Amino acid sequence: MMNRRFFVQGLSAAALAARPLVSLAEEMTASTQAPVRLGIIGPGSRGKELIRCFLRVPGVKIVAAADVYEPRFAELNQVCGYTVESHKDYRSLVDRKDLDAIVVASPLSYHSEHVIAALKGGHHVYGEKTMAFTVDETKEIVKTVDGGKQLYQVGHQYRYAPWIRAGVERVHQGEIGEVTHVFGYWHRNSDWRRPVPKPSLERLINWRLYNEYSLGLLSELGSHHIDVANWIFGEAPRAAFATGSVAEYHDGRENDDNVQAVLSYSKGRRFVFSSMTNNAKMGDQLWVYGTKGSLNLTLEDAEFYYEPKRAMQVAPAKGTVTEKGITTGASYRAGGEMPYRGPGKKLDIAVAEDPTATACRAFVDCVRTGKKPIADARVGLGSALGVIVANQSLSERRELEISSAV
Amino acid sequence: MCAWGKNLRVAALLVGVVLVWGGGAVAQEQQKPLRLFHEVHPAMGSEFSIDLYAPDEETAEQWMQMSFDEIDRLEDLLSNYRPTSELSRISRDAGKGPVTTDPETFAFLEKAVELSRRSGGAFDMTVGPLMRTWGFFFNQGRIPSDAELAALRPKTGWQHIKLDASKRTVWFDNSVSMELDPGGIGKGYAVDKVVALLRSEGVTAALVSGGSSSIYGLGAPPGAEGWRVNVPDPVRHGEMVSSVLLKDTSLSTSACTEKFFIKNGHRYCHILNPHTERPVEDRLQTTVIAPSTTDSDVLSTATFVLDPEAAAKLVETFPGASAVLVSGDEKHPKYQTVRWPESLKIEGKGEKRLGG
Repeated sequence: MMNRRFFVQGLSAAALAARPLVSLAEEMTASTQAPVRLGIIGPGSRGKELIRCFLRVPGVKIVAAADVYEPRFAELNQVCGYTVESHKDYRSLVDRKDLDAIVVASPLSYHSEHVIAALKGGHHVYGEKTMAFTVDETKEIVKTVDGGKQLYQVGHQYRYAPWIRAGVERVHQGEIGEVTHVFGYWHRNSDWRRPVPKPSLERLINWRLYNEYSLGLLSELGSHHIDVANWIFGEAPRAAFATGSVAEYHDGRENDDNVQAVLSYSKGRRFVFSSMTNNAKMGDQLWVYGTKGSLNLTLEDAEFYYEPKRAMQVAPAKGTVTEKGITTGASYRAGGEMPYRGPGKKLDIAVAEDPTATACRAFVDCVRTGKKPIADARVGLGSALGVIVANQSLSERRELEISSAV
Repeated sequence: MCAWGKNLRVAALLVGVVLVWGGGAVAQEQQKPLRLFHEVHPAMGSEFSIDLYAPDEETAEQWMQMSFDEIDRLEDLLSNYRPTSELSRISRDAGKGPVTTDPETFAFLEKAVELSRRSGGAFDMTVGPLMRTWGFFFNQGRIPSDAELAALRPKTGWQHIKLDASKRTVWFDNSVSMELDPGGIGKGYAVDKVVALLRSEGVTAALVSGGSSSIYGLGAPPGAEGWRVNVPDPVRHGEMVSSVLLKDTSLSTSACTEKFFIKNGHRYCHILNPHTERPVEDRLQTTVIAPSTTDSDVLSTATFVLDPEAAAKLVETFPGASAVLVSGDEKHPKYQTVRWPESLKIEGKGEKRLGG
């Protein structure tokens, strides 16, 4: 049965997408430019990128930061161009009363602890994806958000890209017929390692490679694609089956360097995810397959492809076939099975900034106006459940049911 | 290591146990003999290369990856080919009103505007529409009409870029969308950023090259006084006019030997004179040494645009800068130097020394 809350979320997202695409940006710039004071937990590589994006929003000031790795503070100061107050204990940051919101960009296994502490401390939260590390932690965040007045936005920035919004809206309107499959490819050619000044810092810096802190490629990359699949299908996945291995980087990492996952939705619909880290040919892209066509989504554009028209009616047979029969031959037409290599029909959408920057801008707008974020806790929940259960399936090598009830 | 263990999360965040250094292992690591590693990476419509000395392959690979990640990040930030870049957003929106940007992009624009001013507009980031109309985007050269060029005049001019440091905003006071082109500064800026990153990682010797036109020599190879860089002769193909050693300094070159188009027997150079809106004529190559690659990148462009006397004066205003300027045409090249550290290898062709 379709989860009603997901259905409602799907509808509201579609309604938003139906508005003129420029309105999102214009509304934001039209909103008040009252100062917004931010704190951040975990200004590492992703955290600093978020801060760069937040600093493109008028009136935003980064006030305080918490991290266990001392060099991050100087790096953050350099990004900001001024000195940000530093906290070695994140709890002293969430206790501050001079912050409007807190950005949580710590390693995944710390998300729920930091997000919930920030929410309970009375702060709005922009929390990086994946929302949390375990199903229980994920649901705990949802409960905390539901039980409080603070806003929570999860870092699923694909929801903020105008071309993706428009593409998904058209899919919902039936542009490519009945959508039964979404395929997500996130292929890179790098070992995913960060330089480590000292061996003792390996796990602190390369936390993505270790299953104590991260759910690997499924969480760090796949969560975005699962979110798009949830958005398109209008519900959270019901079952997950995944596998993976270390095929290239036998360097002591615990999380696989390639992963394949199949998530099941109602009516037999499927999301198929592939991630590998030693060949970047496919890059980061999604394919949405419907009975009448396909939609290709990337972080820069959206392009439609259409299926050849199916025969609408059966032509009457010529009587000669019963008299003279037909002649046999070897003319197997391979061309019909060849992949289409021609151009598609690109969505003509006014160009926008990087989706992460738009997501940050939208969050600040929500903080200022009290509007509900598009990528809210329910959006985060849907993706996180897919990630977490798929990862569990990967460990157990069997398909697992997903319960989305909170 | 258990400091990040689930049960010890709070402790880890409070105390930072993992920060305790293991001194013995470090000392051993530092004693490893350094080896030279080389890697290339396509970016910014060109190819970046890094040669660096590292104790082992794993460390070298990490330094390389970190450097190329940084170059890719800067390309995402500054590319005018990518509509989602921050520079593209500014180009689109700053004609409508002040655009708040991040400190890094703001500092980059401050630098670009300062260098535009110091060069009297010989370097000008607003030449984007001109580059496009002359077909230098995507290598489809064409000669625009006078009317086309006149129509672009209101859409160019670095002096229209207004920066407010107190609000970190950028706006174009001509109220039109201008296309900022990082072409004459972006690679040099990226090289400087990578050099700073490598220094902070403890790298002592590296040669970082942005498409071979913007090069920085960090330190020197073991036993050498610097990284050798050869400056080709734009006329006598395969020969060099000079060979210099770079140690903690940069060298950039602008030339029309690789990027140009020919129409009706005339060669049109991809470097445009922002004042005339037309390709620069009678220049073959400029090479500038300066402590900052951002500066040398811009100076190589600006000196290419300026007449040699003005070019020499500009170079002299930059401490530690020197230049080789080759003007004229292939049959009648003129070789001129400004504070260049050595004599040019141009037998029988004569070299003119400009400036002090």
